[in-house]
Amino acid sequence: MLGAYRARPELRDRPFMVRERSGPREVVRAASPLARADGVMVGMRRREAEARSAGLVVVDADPSAEAREFEQIARAVEAITPRLEVAEPGVLSFPTRGPARYFGGDARLAAEIHAVVGPLLRPDEQQVRVGIADGRYAARLAARAAGRERSRILVVAPGGSGEFLAPFPVAALGDERLAELLVRLGLLTLGDFANLPAADVLARFGSDGQLRHGMARGFDPTPADLSVPPPDLVESIELDPPAARVDTAAFAAKGLADRLLARLAERGLGCTRVRVEAETEHGERLVRVWRHEGALTPAALAERVRWQLDGWLAANAPITRVADGDTRALQDLSALADAGCLDTGSGQGFGRGGIDTTTGGLVLLRLVPEAVIADSGRQLGFWGGDAAAAERADRVLGRIQGMLGYAAVGTCVVQGGRTPAERIRFVPWGEPREPVRPLQVGGEVAAWPGQIPAPAPSRVFVAPIAAEFLDASGAPVRVNGRGDVLTAPAVVRCRELPDGGGPVRGWCGPWLHDVRWWDRAARQRCARFQVVVDTVGAGEVACLITIERGRAHLDAIY
Amino acid sequence: MVRAHERALMVGGALGELLPGGCLRRGSVIHLHGAQRSALQLALLAAVTRSGEWAAIVESRDGPADFAGLAALEAGVDLERCALVRAVPRERWAVVVGALLEGMTMVVAPVPAYARPADARRLLARARERQAMLVVTGGSWPVDAALRIRAGRGVWHGLEPGEGLLRSCDVHVVVDGKGAPRRACVDLFERAG
Repeated sequence: MLGAYRARPELRDRPFMVRERSGPREVVRAASPLARADGVMVGMRRREAEARSAGLVVVDADPSAEAREFEQIARAVEAITPRLEVAEPGVLSFPTRGPARYFGGDARLAAEIHAVVGPLLRPDEQQVRVGIADGRYAARLAARAAGRERSRILVVAPGGSGEFLAPFPVAALGDERLAELLVRLGLLTLGDFANLPAADVLARFGSDGQLRHGMARGFDPTPADLSVPPPDLVESIELDPPAARVDTAAFAAKGLADRLLARLAERGLGCTRVRVEAETEHGERLVRVWRHEGALTPAALAERVRWQLDGWLAANAPITRVADGDTRALQDLSALADAGCLDTGSGQGFGRGGIDTTTGGLVLLRLVPEAVIADSGRQLGFWGGDAAAAERADRVLGRIQGMLGYAAVGTCVVQGGRTPAERIRFVPWGEPREPVRPLQVGGEVAAWPGQIPAPAPSRVFVAPIAAEFLDASGAPVRVNGRGDVLTAPAVVRCRELPDGGGPVRGWCGPWLHDVRWWDRAARQRCARFQVVVDTVGAGEVACLITIERGRAHLDAIY
Repeated sequence: MVRAHERALMVGGALGELLPGGCLRRGSVIHLHGAQRSALQLALLAAVTRSGEWAAIVESRDGPADFAGLAALEAGVDLERCALVRAVPRERWAVVVGALLEGMTMVVAPVPAYARPADARRLLARARERQAMLVVTGGSWPVDAALRIRAGRGVWHGLEPGEGLLRSCDVHVVVDGKGAPRRACVDLFERAG
């Protein structure tokens, strides 16, 4: 709901609800204070809610926005206690023993939480409910019950959770089938259920029933995780004096990369995704995420940082500036990197959002491991088999990447698409070999209607070459909107064809491709032909010709 | 010590029958020319990558970028072990090809018009030393090549004016190595899968 406030400020003074789907029905997931004043309640059907509140605005649930907003609340609570568990956006729990002792009792701790979280939820601070009880389940019900208290706080005395839970209906166990059965057996409340002997419950309802029985008696099925939080693996270095040249910064980065990977190695981990962050003397913050197929080696990581610094420090290099603390922009950025900026390898793909240049030297360099895996090590083949060959190839390709640039070396990977060019993605060396467009959707082969049939041409031009595609009278071949070829093709001329082209011996098509009409930059409406051309020197040559907006291009030669 | 059979790479199909011994010899230079040489180079790449070896293709900045990944896949090339080096500038050509020969079993590179005999000899020596194959395509290779293959005139089947689909192509292939040249019509588009 907070997310909806942020996204649409005009909702502040109108009643609105967030809907979610529950089976066949749409129900209220959250309601604004104005809507609640009209009698809208959480869990109510949408239609009923609309009937009660005139002019009710219905908003779709956005789980990722909820998670993002709730993160701020979690961070605020983290200032009080570090051992947090977020069950779902909207619900978090933590063990109270330590912090309660510090603040002088459970009630004071609860008041403290209320004071910290309340202002964040404005204008709806009444929604903050704090419950403290023996286990997480009892605490959650206590928090729900706290809505009835004036202070919105309910503290159940230690050992009193069973008593507190006793009057709740069995439906509160969250297991519909079990609750239905219990009601038919005449056990209407959690207290009735808790009174049954544990052994009988196990015999009759199985282990799942035993778990619910424990919950009804006020025990926590899974005690809160009290393990030490994972160590902070971020490595950073401050550069004094600021580094304005690539080699100075790259030298510092080399040491940083070595330290980071050594610390990861101590824990038996390897890094597959790393975020490189830098700050300039004028407070600009630069971020880029690099991914690697296997675990990064220190040399490979240092090399990536150097490429990155090259891009940042070179004059007029495209970089992305991220405002401080703007986590959302950061996420977008890493999503951008994931989506394969270097899609067709058409050059530098970094930083499509907001192009800018650095205005000073770098003062801070930080490496954040974003994804780590258990390092399985490297096993060389017996007598230097395939693994040795792969390692040799990797070394050579890495060296050429250093010579010609990151995007100059790579491999191809097959993906979905209509034309031979679309169906291949060039992946720079070292990045994971993943297609951008799917080959399979939900276990089925993705359909690409109008796909050019096999065999595939042996030369596909990344940049199509201008050609002349003429009919017998010397006029360009035209195709109408329905895909009818108005005049039969007779001649093809293009500089890439042997002898510059010649008469057409056979042709077929057109395949009409009207693609990405929703995307102004990428949309394309064209007709494609397979053509066999008779040339003097080379005999018959087959090629793929595209007509787009009345102009012909040579896409590929077979 | 490298034994003789480890030095050769078997090539299957109609193309293999044309080659001396049905195989490609390591540590040698192969020159491909003729209009259909692109289809021919994919057949050679397939032979190398399918046996678990690595290969690389060099594209010059002066020519069009035209590597066909899909056709390579149809020809049986293992794309994972087939690296593509794009837009190599004129002055780096010999250096890049030389570096690739260090780590790859086969390096396919178009012969630039500016290839100097001294560079060519150096690359030949490098290929021999590293037991790698250098496949040069088009243009004229200024020094000796162990094998010269020409994929010349082709005849296409399956397509008529306004109907049918491209199906297969008989290419006139001439292999010029030791002894008399061998020639045959080979369907280079008869691909695995």
